[in-house]
Amino acid sequence: MEDKILNEKESLELISKMIQNTQQKLESEQGRPLLIFGYITVIISVFVYVLLKTTNSYYSNLLWFTIPLLGGLFMFILRKKRTKYVKTYIDGIVNIIWSTIGAIVILLSFSSFFISLNYVALMLLLLGIATTLTGLIIKFKPIIFCGIIGTLGCVLPFVFNGCEQVLIFGLFIAIMMIIPGHILNYKGRKANV
Amino acid sequence: MFKELNPLLHSELRLGIMSILISVEEADFLFIKEKTGATVGNISVQLEKLSAAGYIQVEKGFLGKRTRTVCKITPEGTAAFAEYVEAIKTYLEKKS
Repeated sequence: MEDKILNEKESLELISKMIQNTQQKLESEQGRPLLIFGYITVIISVFVYVLLKTTNSYYSNLLWFTIPLLGGLFMFILRKKRTKYVKTYIDGIVNIIWSTIGAIVILLSFSSFFISLNYVALMLLLLGIATTLTGLIIKFKPIIFCGIIGTLGCVLPFVFNGCEQVLIFGLFIAIMMIIPGHILNYKGRKANV
Repeated sequence: MFKELNPLLHSELRLGIMSILISVEEADFLFIKEKTGATVGNISVQLEKLSAAGYIQVEKGFLGKRTRTVCKITPEGTAAFAEYVEAIKTYLEKKS
């Protein structure tokens, strides 16, 4: 492309071509945030379950607070070495959804020191909604499907009592984040071959 | 009546850059280079012209040790782009 003057038809063709070229395509490691936070949450769930079973101490729940710290750390360590950068409007909307839900989840976690609620159910509901919305926005059916399953899973902590709720939480996080994260990465790799 | 075409946008490379930036929230220099296929020097000159007109916002920063130039379209740029497309339509309507 050069600094030459176009006629009207060429101008419109160029605009249309450039807009099409910029449309978002699946990237090879797009599922990485889902996998990082998914695996960390599942591992922490298992740790919390084991600690609760063995020590019976409420303080075992403090381990949940390591999830955003470890997630942030791994996101930084494993960040993609980008050669070029583009942020689409879709990226912006997905970031806003996860930042908002993430902030609410952290604030709610702190409220657990003062108020007694079914936090496992509440977290599954919030994370399920965020996952489903992400799937709908990026138009990726496995994320939509797994997000809906996760959202519906929020009723189970009312059925099961005690430590088992923690395992249910881990299981549904695996369904909501790890499974679609791997599918997204697989499809992204295939699209970039 | 033909509307006057904005001379700043009526050039292949500047129009290409504006078309890219109108489709995304922001993009860096390398992304623009890849999509337009233009040379570094030519893109730099056109970015400066668009920035001087207030059509785009250019932010220079660092990503690790490397410099990164991120460009973003401004509301003035969006309005000028829309006006340009409207003006082109009047030419095409007259011709057909």
